[in-house]
Amino acid sequence: MISVVVVFFYYIFSRRITIEPTCIVQTKIKTFLILKLILQLPFPVIGSLNGVHMFGSSHGVSLQSTTTDDAKIVWKVFHESITLIAVSQDDDADDCHMNNLLNLIASALVLLCGIDEVSNIKNVERFKKEVKVCMQLVDRILESPETSGFSQLTNAVDIICAPENAILQNFLDAFAEAAESGFGCLFVERKVCVATKKWWSMSANELVLLNLLLTSLTPCSSRDIPVFLPDTQPAIPHRLMTFELTRNIEVCVICGPSPSLAELEPEVVRFWKPAYDSLRTVGRLSPRNFPTNIALDHNLLGFLLVNKETNRCLHSVNPSLEDPSHLGETLSIHQRKEVLKTFYKKMVGNFFASSVSGSEMGPAEFSHQPMESYITTETHKCYTLQSGPYQIFTLYTDSIPTYAMRSVTQRTLSYLTKDKNVSV
Amino acid sequence: MISPGTLLNQEWYGSPQGREVLATLLHKSQQRRKTFGLLEKPMIGVHCPTDEVKYKVFLVGKSGVGKTSTVAKISGNAVPTAHSETPGIQTTTVYWAGQVKQLNKVIMFSLQFWDAGESATKKYDHILPACVAQTDCIIFLFSFVDRSSFEDVSQLITKMTTPKDTTCKIVIGTKFDQHAHSEITQRDIRDFEQNWKIPILKIRNVPDTEGRNHTNETSQILCVLCEHLWHRDIIMAGRSPSTDDLKDKQNFV
Ligand SMILES: Nc1nc2c(ncn2[C@@H]2O[C@H](COP(=O)(O)OP(=O)(O)O)[C@@H](O)[C@H]2O)c(=O)[nH]1
Ligand SMILES: [Mg+2]
Repeated sequence: MISVVVVFFYYIFSRRITIEPTCIVQTKIKTFLILKLILQLPFPVIGSLNGVHMFGSSHGVSLQSTTTDDAKIVWKVFHESITLIAVSQDDDADDCHMNNLLNLIASALVLLCGIDEVSNIKNVERFKKEVKVCMQLVDRILESPETSGFSQLTNAVDIICAPENAILQNFLDAFAEAAESGFGCLFVERKVCVATKKWWSMSANELVLLNLLLTSLTPCSSRDIPVFLPDTQPAIPHRLMTFELTRNIEVCVICGPSPSLAELEPEVVRFWKPAYDSLRTVGRLSPRNFPTNIALDHNLLGFLLVNKETNRCLHSVNPSLEDPSHLGETLSIHQRKEVLKTFYKKMVGNFFASSVSGSEMGPAEFSHQPMESYITTETHKCYTLQSGPYQIFTLYTDSIPTYAMRSVTQRTLSYLTKDKNVSV
Repeated sequence: MISPGTLLNQEWYGSPQGREVLATLLHKSQQRRKTFGLLEKPMIGVHCPTDEVKYKVFLVGKSGVGKTSTVAKISGNAVPTAHSETPGIQTTTVYWAGQVKQLNKVIMFSLQFWDAGESATKKYDHILPACVAQTDCIIFLFSFVDRSSFEDVSQLITKMTTPKDTTCKIVIGTKFDQHAHSEITQRDIRDFEQNWKIPILKIRNVPDTEGRNHTNETSQILCVLCEHLWHRDIIMAGRSPSTDDLKDKQNFV
């Protein structure tokens, strides 16, 4: 008998929530695992949310989502063993965005516990303990949009593009080889700086999750973490080893049984010491995230550039690297992030198909393919266009003339994609 | 058990040289320890020659007792607020300095803390051996608000060490900020220390609210730890300390 576990999340946009398994209710056929929430829903509500979904499935109907006056509820079953139910503020966006978060959470469980534990739950008490290792990662996935990056929204990994990337690539390739690993990646300030070919061959989900995992854990010098690649090798444990080179700059490799952590650590200093200055220089480029030689329009407050094919995204909400205390009347850094995210969610799934799975369904209903769109408000204006694998979302001050947004956005895209130091 | 101040000169920390060395380890406000990446080391002026010695320290104790928080606290990182089981192994290098009385010399201690989550240790064969291998010290942790974690400590000591083995042993009691709800008495502590000849230290892994006092608390823990590690080196060398010993130790490192 397969026990069905219901994991339940209450997801509120403006608040970071903390979850923790607290109570288990077992009935003859079902097992509920309920995660404690800061704003907890009463148990009968949880029970009926699960009940209505079960009622549907017993009649051959799959209940996917619903909205109330101010909330949205989404159900999704994974591996025939886990039902995730998410409740959030209704954001008027396509369901693909909530489903994307649920996909990430389900993959996070597989990443740290392995598919066998997740798809074949034999002992609920044990499973409850098992999933505790995922809590920080799940918290990170559900982090509020003001502070989080764009990875979990776009399902494409955040990158930082510096002129130093070319030489750092050589350092990384050499180090990965010494670690007997094809998978190597250098993270700078929560973003991928460079990665090996094999690392980039991972699925979008895997790229995003590994990025989020590293930033969710307590900072430390090195780690040796058992991980399963949820899409490519969900049943085989690998060893993810990470090394903090300097504050917020970490190199990591994915290895088999050897080398051991103690063997590899001395190599880190040997291989990376000569790269120290370059690493510090790249670190200073954050939060601009793109080379200083590229000068963008002065009305631009921020942008998000996504490549659907490579699963990478580049964003900047501080393109002119101004001191945040001198921003004056314009939007704060947090607000810029939030506006870009809201704009992205409005477009993708409704008009654009992107790296978020399910986002192609909405646009498919049109007889034509929308290519550009914009909004204007009293405080700011947004423009988006797609071209080849790229989608760019730009945020401007309200002083930019609306008729100019199109050409400025086109130019911005061209500057960013034609620069030799930028590879999105 | 050696009493604090036997091997390391406590007055030195207040001396101009001591303060200069501490300045390389603490942030200006003195409220937080600086953290160092693997490519970095404390920058001490040439006029204060120091020798660096490295030690591996492994933390054990039941899940949720506060191993990860203790390392975060001692290393100057933010203490996690919610419990999340540590996936796999996590190591953290912490630098601490001290003046060795008999040598009249400043030593930079590089302590590498090894912390592993319980479920990973049970599920994968390679985790525990990697943590135990060549460890210089084992810290056994219990929580002041969990009696069973205190009782576990004796069992863990018997399980993880042999009477003859020279591994340095320390016990740390966490959640001492909640000592009003303590399930462990002064008497328990005294009996334990007498019985095992292992010191029990106390820590409060709470955010730095009282500033300096908190760095003092972790500094004291580091002092005791370094002193015991140094003491063990002397015993292992089998003779009274001399500069030769120090050289041997360095060659070994
Ligand atoms: N009040 C208080 N809480 C603590 C202390 N040490 C740890 N905790 C809490 O205890 C929980 C478990 O800590 P953690 O370090 O993750 O335990 P580990 O499993 O041994 O690594 C966390 O929620 C910590 O915030 C302490 O000294 N005081
Ligand atoms: Mg832990």
